[in-house]
Amino acid sequence: MDHRARLPLELGLPRGARPRRWMPTLAAGLSIGEYARSLERRLAFLTAVLLAAIWALGGQGYFWPAWAWLGLGDLVLLDFTAGWAWRHPPGAIRRVACVWALVGAAAVILVFTWLLTWLLAGVHSFWPAWALLGLATAGSSYSLVALHDRVLVAHGRRALRARIDMLTHTRRQAVAAQAAELRRIERDLHDGAQARLVALTLQLGRAELRVSDQPEVRRLIKDAQHEARQAIEELRDLARGIVPPLLADRGLVAAVESLGARYGLGTSVDATMHRALAPAVENAAYFVIAEALTNTAKHAAAARSWIVISEERRALTVVVGDDGAGGADPAGSGLAGLRARVEALDGSLKVESPAGAGTVLEARLPCGW
Amino acid sequence: MRVVIAEDLALLREGLVALLRENDIEVVAQVEDGPGLLRAIAGHEPDLAIVDVRLPPTFKDEGLIAAIEARRRQPALGVLVLSQYVETAYASELVGEHTAGIGYLLKERVGDVRAFLDALRSVAAGGTVLDRQVVAELLAPREGADQTLPGLTAREREVLALMAEGRSNTAIAESLVVTPGAVEKHITSIFAKLDLGACDEDHRRVLAVLAYLRVAR
Ligand SMILES: Nc1ncnc2c1ncn2[C@@H]1O[C@H](COP(=O)(O)OP(=O)(O)O)[C@@H](O)[C@H]1O
Ligand SMILES: [Mg+2]
Repeated sequence: MDHRARLPLELGLPRGARPRRWMPTLAAGLSIGEYARSLERRLAFLTAVLLAAIWALGGQGYFWPAWAWLGLGDLVLLDFTAGWAWRHPPGAIRRVACVWALVGAAAVILVFTWLLTWLLAGVHSFWPAWALLGLATAGSSYSLVALHDRVLVAHGRRALRARIDMLTHTRRQAVAAQAAELRRIERDLHDGAQARLVALTLQLGRAELRVSDQPEVRRLIKDAQHEARQAIEELRDLARGIVPPLLADRGLVAAVESLGARYGLGTSVDATMHRALAPAVENAAYFVIAEALTNTAKHAAAARSWIVISEERRALTVVVGDDGAGGADPAGSGLAGLRARVEALDGSLKVESPAGAGTVLEARLPCGW
Repeated sequence: MRVVIAEDLALLREGLVALLRENDIEVVAQVEDGPGLLRAIAGHEPDLAIVDVRLPPTFKDEGLIAAIEARRRQPALGVLVLSQYVETAYASELVGEHTAGIGYLLKERVGDVRAFLDALRSVAAGGTVLDRQVVAELLAPREGADQTLPGLTAREREVLALMAEGRSNTAIAESLVVTPGAVEKHITSIFAKLDLGACDEDHRRVLAVLAYLRVAR
């Protein structure tokens, strides 16, 4: 990180890094108002502790500091809610803050009035108790109703995000697992059923040699071998449809080069890749290229055909182009199928094909699999 | 003939060993992976190695890599590569610069025992044998293709394909139901069209096969 890049970060720091002191100093960059307010909170706290200490040292008994606490707490509530209302834009939160500020103000007035009646008229019972309780209840009820929606919406949003995260995660897992599974099936077909059938034809071949003097038996064996060969071929085609063996064994670039050679379009392949790709990405990229080349061969009548595969940090980009007829229909069954396949990997597919000016297909496949 | 077999599936390996022994071919070693193959050819100096493409540990193309390396170390060694599938790219790599003593066949060709044994002997004797599927793919007319073999007739293509499989003129004649004389005429015509000058017959056959591979590259 260079010097200039670090600067704004440091400027942003003092908020959290401001030294915590018992008494704030003006030098800390506070305005007079902020200074007074933070002083007030600290003084209220100090007074509350001091009174409790005096009560504790003065023989305890009736806990009179509670009354002082009530008054001080009320002041702090007023201060907090007013500040709160000031900072928030018009809306539910500001309304709730205002209500609590009113509750606080009413409580201050009630307590002071009671103080006066106590000092002047000697009224001993704390008559505002019910009024205070009523105010608190009213304030709470109002807050509950006013913030209800907000809380629900926030909760709903959180739940939705969690669900999206989970679905994204499980879909990735499913797609990756499917790709790995397909590779396994391809290998199993070759090394399992197909290999057994090969061993069978071998045994039949050996048997055939031993009955060279019995034409009937030889013919039966030949027929059996023919069946076995047929089965082997079907299995091979099946396996190739699942994953082309060259793709499974040598990776995308080798498979694509072979594909290009097979179409005989003189396709140039330009690939920059730095690491092995996840099977899901490799399969999708391969099928995009295979379909695009098929289209070029079938529809384009192109003189030039090219493939560019490039890998950035987070995505594989596959471009397949030709200089043929153009006018490809992105809604065609082949291209629509490709789009679905690419989008299942959170990728995107662009088809540029102005009539008469060639076709360029660009697929972007995220690599974080 | 002394043979080394590199195949990881016991069922197939044992079947192959039995088949070869029944036909008086000596199997001097059986191995299951690439390094095993290289050790075996160093120790036994066989005439021929039969190698599966997919071998442990990764079951990708280590058999092919090992076969190419084995030939680099012992250029006189015949190498017959067997696989569940054929890729023209693999055929090109296998043939490389040295065309003699190379075979590349689908595994199921072992079922036709006589043809398989012919292929074995041909490769051990320095011939070139390519599976008809590789040949077919190399010969397939391509959509929009501008590069095929120059001016061969359909019949000549068939003959060339059979030559690439390592068949003798007699076998080709039988297979196409024509006279050996007709086959010879086709072959002479192919050699002329592929511009393969006067040199010995076997070598020209190999060159004809290579003409395919050059088209594939
Ligand atoms: N590279 C191309 N050059 C010209 N036309 C194209 C190309 N690719 C596709 N098209 C046109 O777009 C249509 C839709 O393509 P696609 O979805 O692959 O369906 P399909 O190939 O099965 O017809 C094709 O029928 C063809 O007319
Ligand atoms: Mg199409």
